[in-house]
Amino acid sequence: MDNKISLDGLDVGYNKSIGVVNDVSFDVAPGEIVALIGANGAGKSTVLKTITRQLQKLSGEIRICEMNESDMTEEDMSKAVSMVMTEHIHPELMTCFDVVATGRYPYTGRLGILSEDDIKAVDTAIEMVGATEVEKKDFMKVSDGQRQRIMLARAICQDTDIMILDEPTSFLDIQFKIDILSVIKRLAKESKKAVIMSIHELEFVPAIADKVIGVAEGKVFKVGTPSEILTGENLEAMYHMASGTGKVMADGLWQYAAALEKLLWQK
Amino acid sequence: MNQGRNRYSVCFVAMILILAFCFILGLGVGSADIKVSEIIKSLIAPGEVFFGKIIISIRLPRIIAAIILGGALSVSGFLLQIFFGNPIAGPYVLGISSGAKLFVAISMVFLVARGIYISSLVMVVAAFLGSLLSMAIVIVLAGKVKNMSLLVVCGVMIGYICSAVTEFVITFANDSNIVNLHNWSLGSFSGINWEHVLVSVVIVFVTIIFCFMLSKPIGAYQMGESYARNMGVNIKRLRVVLILLSSILSATVTAFAGPISFVGIAVPHIMRGIMKSAKPIIMIPACFLGGAIITLLCDCIARTAFAPTEVSISAVTSVFLAPVVIYILVARRVSSRG
Repeated sequence: MDNKISLDGLDVGYNKSIGVVNDVSFDVAPGEIVALIGANGAGKSTVLKTITRQLQKLSGEIRICEMNESDMTEEDMSKAVSMVMTEHIHPELMTCFDVVATGRYPYTGRLGILSEDDIKAVDTAIEMVGATEVEKKDFMKVSDGQRQRIMLARAICQDTDIMILDEPTSFLDIQFKIDILSVIKRLAKESKKAVIMSIHELEFVPAIADKVIGVAEGKVFKVGTPSEILTGENLEAMYHMASGTGKVMADGLWQYAAALEKLLWQK
Repeated sequence: MNQGRNRYSVCFVAMILILAFCFILGLGVGSADIKVSEIIKSLIAPGEVFFGKIIISIRLPRIIAAIILGGALSVSGFLLQIFFGNPIAGPYVLGISSGAKLFVAISMVFLVARGIYISSLVMVVAAFLGSLLSMAIVIVLAGKVKNMSLLVVCGVMIGYICSAVTEFVITFANDSNIVNLHNWSLGSFSGINWEHVLVSVVIVFVTIIFCFMLSKPIGAYQMGESYARNMGVNIKRLRVVLILLSSILSATVTAFAGPISFVGIAVPHIMRGIMKSAKPIIMIPACFLGGAIITLLCDCIARTAFAPTEVSISAVTSVFLAPVVIYILVARRVSSRG
């Protein structure tokens, strides 16, 4: 099977002497959603930032759409990988439409003027995330939930095969979480995008993810399906929980997950 | 979308008209008052009008210089604000103009003292090196102090040091050749001649066109570094280019007109308010026009307020634009709390 993105023995971190996460290897196929889970500070974001070139990789190989990442120019990357990061942006005097339109950057001409097709792509993306009513509002004046939708729409209209999402659902209320995740799921299943996302809400993982990567103790702790990874034993190990508590957590989590799965698929 | 486009067109047309009006006004006012009809006559056939010589060899170069250099200064400020990601940056408050001033003063005093003629281009080069030195210091400081207001205080201090050293240099080298240097060091368009105008027109236009062609990556950079990188922008290269372009612009201004205060910081802010946009493709031409208008008006005031004595252009721009800067500081403080 041709993978959209493959990591092979990737070491990531802020400098050579202390790698935050070592020896990360996994593949993502088209249409597949991979969830990165792990405790705060485990290095999930560091992995994602390395894939999107915010950080230099320390060693190992990243293959993107059958190409070695080191051989790709900035422009190649911008047409292959889009992202939503946790850091907030503060664009001045930009409407939500303007912010989404920046996703078309790799496709516009020398002066960055939007063509008819670009505008159509932007509108489609905004519609997809259900943010049409805030389209003309100032980005800085809409709610966190709307902003997150806009940032997702921005990534969507960048029209890449791979999407990297760092905690796309954090700080959102339950309905926004469900909305955002159903959009992501639709993107993967209908448009065959390869998605890698980090997520703290484990209860959503069974409904959204095809594959789960547990990150802990500076390495990939385990790779598997949600039911293989979200067990009491694994939770205790990954999140440093007292022995016995993991089982209680996992039981409750799966019950909640079943309810969410129904809601997510209703969309 | 359309509403925005209409707004931009109306604003641009209005600004061009205002600039044309100021141009005529600038030719007319001064120690000798000249009628509009005579201005037009002297522009067509300068030999036949009594005031022709004043208009052509004194007022006209001065006014063109105010337009070109005022515009350049505002664009330079706009680029710096993008670079530092903050609206309270400008070549004057960050001490960059003063660095340029110091280098120009040193090279003038030492070379003129040895009887070496200094061409306009050499002055620009000296100013450019001075700008880069100040810029380097400011960038190092910016790495250490994350707070923008504190950085501005550091910039003002750098400005004071450079101005003080310039003052020493000028005082000790009291030569009749550099008698104009004192006026210049406070900021003035009074010493401008046609050669200066020609050199600055060429440098400024090439640089501004270059800036305009970069409006796409600059716009991406406004979204923050990580997203800009994800859009395919080479961040390191863009940062270097931003610094070089804004230094060339502010150096050209300083070389010919000395340090002009607050235009670079206040005009981009005023333009954002008028245009209701921060997009570089709009802001670069808007800042140029706005800077030209404001600088030209301030120069008219500098010439006429206490005629026949001239006040420095910085005195006038400070009176009008420093309050705008205070407003920006206060407004930001309020909005960042809310």
